[in-house]
Amino acid sequence: MSRNVLEKLMHQLCVDRAVKQRFKEDPEGLLARYALSDEERAMVTGFDVAAMQKHGVNAMLTLGFWTENAPNRHPAAYMKALRGVASEGQVFSAGLKQ
Amino acid sequence: MGKIVGGFLVPHDPVMFVAPEAPAEDIRKRMWGAYDSCAERLAGLNATSAVIIGADHYFNFGTGCLPQYLIGTGDVDGPLDVLPGLKRQIIPASEKLAGFIADHGHANGFDWAVARAFTVDHAVAIPDRLIIDPVRARGQSIGTIPVYIAAGVDPFIKMKRAIELGGAIKAAVEAMPDDERVVVIGSGGISHWVGTPEMGKVNEAFDREIMDYACTGNLAGIGGLSDEYILENGGNGGMEIRQWAVAMGAMPGARGEVIDYAPVPEWVTGLGFVQLFA
Repeated sequence: MSRNVLEKLMHQLCVDRAVKQRFKEDPEGLLARYALSDEERAMVTGFDVAAMQKHGVNAMLTLGFWTENAPNRHPAAYMKALRGVASEGQVFSAGLKQ
Repeated sequence: MGKIVGGFLVPHDPVMFVAPEAPAEDIRKRMWGAYDSCAERLAGLNATSAVIIGADHYFNFGTGCLPQYLIGTGDVDGPLDVLPGLKRQIIPASEKLAGFIADHGHANGFDWAVARAFTVDHAVAIPDRLIIDPVRARGQSIGTIPVYIAAGVDPFIKMKRAIELGGAIKAAVEAMPDDERVVVIGSGGISHWVGTPEMGKVNEAFDREIMDYACTGNLAGIGGLSDEYILENGGNGGMEIRQWAVAMGAMPGARGEVIDYAPVPEWVTGLGFVQLFA
């Protein structure tokens, strides 16, 4: 389990423009620099924020990671990824729908 | 000699800036108006410094260094996380008092981490902009001292220690030779779930419980809440009642008054505004 390394990467993908750019252009090359398991690498490249939270990653980081890097950065898409496909449309907040 | 002349407990909700029109009109007028009320009340206190207690959102600090509590003793600006209507700017500081609080703590069992030049995030920038800036605009000179505690990222500061930290701030202010008039602002909460599947949920019963502790000066009540209870009933964002506990700890015995409160799911938070009377 390398929650700590995953959180390090998530933090950098929230705040470091160069790391975000590398992730966009060469995700495998970037991830090779971190001691992550195959399963953890798949969580990152697959934007599996639900699995990351189950792994112990801080929810503020998964939100920031999604908002800064996901192909669809819409908050509703984040909530759908987090809650599962069945929950589509059940976003609590009108603010989150914007 | 320095003196704590009052306190405020307020939210720092970035969704208010991102989606200002989301709630019903009366609610949003009330909530923005509550900040105006805080500013109005602050103006009457003739404060010279404001200690604003916020929490890192895993943004200022990374896995390489996660301080339990930190004080900004030098230049301050922010927010780091710029929002619509909340651009980054230089924040007037109160360097002499901030340095004194750090030094006093170091001599008395509180090993403050220190930021000599600090870009705060929205936790400090929102109350600074909405409560203190309007008073500065009236001609009062108030320096901001940012304090960050570990309420968003584990290992969390213990509730007991948060209250003690407030006591350390009080002791330092009162040991300060200068005639500083200090306001403490606990910035955070109340119930909210950040980035979790429950995001958007608000628990009014929990919020009212916490405001009741604040209004009755019940340090034992708020200090006795377990992390499990807070996380279950107030969410991961509810851990920010630690900032309230610091402010309450700086004003032991103080009574409070709710300026306004509303559960606002559109802004993903129970928004509570309390004034503490010295």
